[in-house]
Amino acid sequence: MSYLTLSHLEKSFGPARVVKDFNLTVDQGEFISLLGPSGCGKTTVLRMVAGFELPTAGGITIEGRDVTRLKPNQRNIGMVFQAYALFPNLTVAQNVGFGLKVQGAPKASIKPRVAEMLSLIGLSDLGNRYPFQLSGGQQQRVALARALAPKPSVLLLDEPLSALDAKVRVSLRNEIRQIQRELGITTIFVTHDQEEALSMSDRVVVMHEGIADQVGTPFDIYNRPATRFVAGFVGTLNTLEAKVLDAAAGKVTLGGTEITLPAPLPAGPTVTLGLRPEAIRLSAATGPQLRATIKDVDFLGSVIRLRADLAGQPIAFDTFNTTRVAPPKVGETVALGLDTADLLVIGA
Amino acid sequence: MKRAAAWSILLVGMIYFILPLVGMVEFSLSMKRGIYSFEAYRVVFADPQFRQTFSYSVMMAVLTILFGVLLVVPTAFWVRLKLPGLRPYVEFVTLLPLVIPAIVVVFGYIRLYNTSSWLPMTGSVTGTNLLLLFGYSMLSLPYMYRAIDTGLRTIDVATLTEAAQSLGAGWFTILAKIIMPNVLVAVLSGAFVTFAIVMGEFTLAALLDRPAFGPYLQLMGANKAYEPFALSTIAFIITWACMGLIQLVTRLTKHDKAAR
Repeated sequence: MSYLTLSHLEKSFGPARVVKDFNLTVDQGEFISLLGPSGCGKTTVLRMVAGFELPTAGGITIEGRDVTRLKPNQRNIGMVFQAYALFPNLTVAQNVGFGLKVQGAPKASIKPRVAEMLSLIGLSDLGNRYPFQLSGGQQQRVALARALAPKPSVLLLDEPLSALDAKVRVSLRNEIRQIQRELGITTIFVTHDQEEALSMSDRVVVMHEGIADQVGTPFDIYNRPATRFVAGFVGTLNTLEAKVLDAAAGKVTLGGTEITLPAPLPAGPTVTLGLRPEAIRLSAATGPQLRATIKDVDFLGSVIRLRADLAGQPIAFDTFNTTRVAPPKVGETVALGLDTADLLVIGA
Repeated sequence: MKRAAAWSILLVGMIYFILPLVGMVEFSLSMKRGIYSFEAYRVVFADPQFRQTFSYSVMMAVLTILFGVLLVVPTAFWVRLKLPGLRPYVEFVTLLPLVIPAIVVVFGYIRLYNTSSWLPMTGSVTGTNLLLLFGYSMLSLPYMYRAIDTGLRTIDVATLTEAAQSLGAGWFTILAKIIMPNVLVAVLSGAFVTFAIVMGEFTLAALLDRPAFGPYLQLMGANKAYEPFALSTIAFIITWACMGLIQLVTRLTKHDKAAR
């Protein structure tokens, strides 16, 4: 049985349906990310789990207990907010111990637990400081410790890294993941940053217009996108129109080159194919070859990103920078190799 | 040249404000012919009516502040958190005491709560004191509400509330342990303004026939020469002491240092 279940969850604000028939089961200790653009409903789902929003329909259970109608302070859920939300009038130690105090934990047990949490986040020496005396990264660590101190059944992270600078963001996301693994706490993480979602999660839920477009491992989401939206939203993807020659046999022409795909195609005169930039090779000796004219060369250091024209369709691809081979020049016609297994047939 | 002009304007302004005060203090010290003395203050402090009215007004001021805080903090918090659409209406209501004269209010009270009404509050001392308390709270409402609402604006009320709720806190804990300490300076600003209003208020106290400091001031002003100036100096010192206390509390509130 799953640890956390969201079944047929719906939320409307007036006439606007923000979340539509949302279903998700989360196992104990799992790290799930809700990924999607602004306004897709991911934060609303999280807020319904936290109890800050009442679902219009559907239910939420934690360990088999229906919590749909419970107040936020009755759910034993820890939450970390984008804006840190540390209590300005309390010291770091008092912030971390707040949850334990309001839950009536004995004083003797609060102090060691606070010390344990501060040690976990590496801020043991800063217990007496006030939030305004900490950096953004330190404040968010304290917010994490505060949420974890009362041993919540589920940890909710609402874009906790968004307000931080890039370097701190990367180090803190690794830290969060490490702490989550160490404690084995079931976690739901909301983000619009695909890199964060893919690097941290056991599974990712890609949300679009209030529905879960795809639920899967980061590998599946990236390599086998289920919808056109997922394919376009996660990673960089070339979308190429190909003419269908024989749908049953998977035969198409792409940029004047005849290609046989490994699976049959849906009936129709054309099909949209997706191809990741890293799946394209320059001057490949094997497999089908596409001829394209280089339009732009971006030197990014270890990687060179090239943009080319493939029979009127733009295509981008990457190549590693090596000292021995100079990148192609603008206007040069190159042969591009690909593996037909990397071609994604993009659905609706 | 510009600097000299600025200093000149400042000097003129200071003379304009300070000179009458100096005159008032100087006159209050001139009760004994030919020498400066605190005779007027001695007479005032020795007057049992002064002690009685002053302590009565201080007590009423403290009660008004308590009632105002208990009424306004949860109201402003709730409006900001759950009913932001009602804010303009609530603000309008809180500003009404500025346009409705106290005399209209007190006559309304007397008409509604007189001894032959369904709720004869003016029929007992406690009832009349309660009416006066409500009247004072109403008079101080614009200042109290503004001060607290401004204080609430400086913190992220919604997120702090949600953070506290997710940690298991109920409404009382949130208000007492999170919201109040973070708007304490604003609450104190409102409280000290309320204190100053209550200490000097005349109309409500006089027409409800309560032994307050305002009517006493008026009585002294009508019948004595030096004592009213001593009383005015005392009232002025109280007001400035309140303002000084606001500054002191602001400085002593550690967590507010970041905001300054």
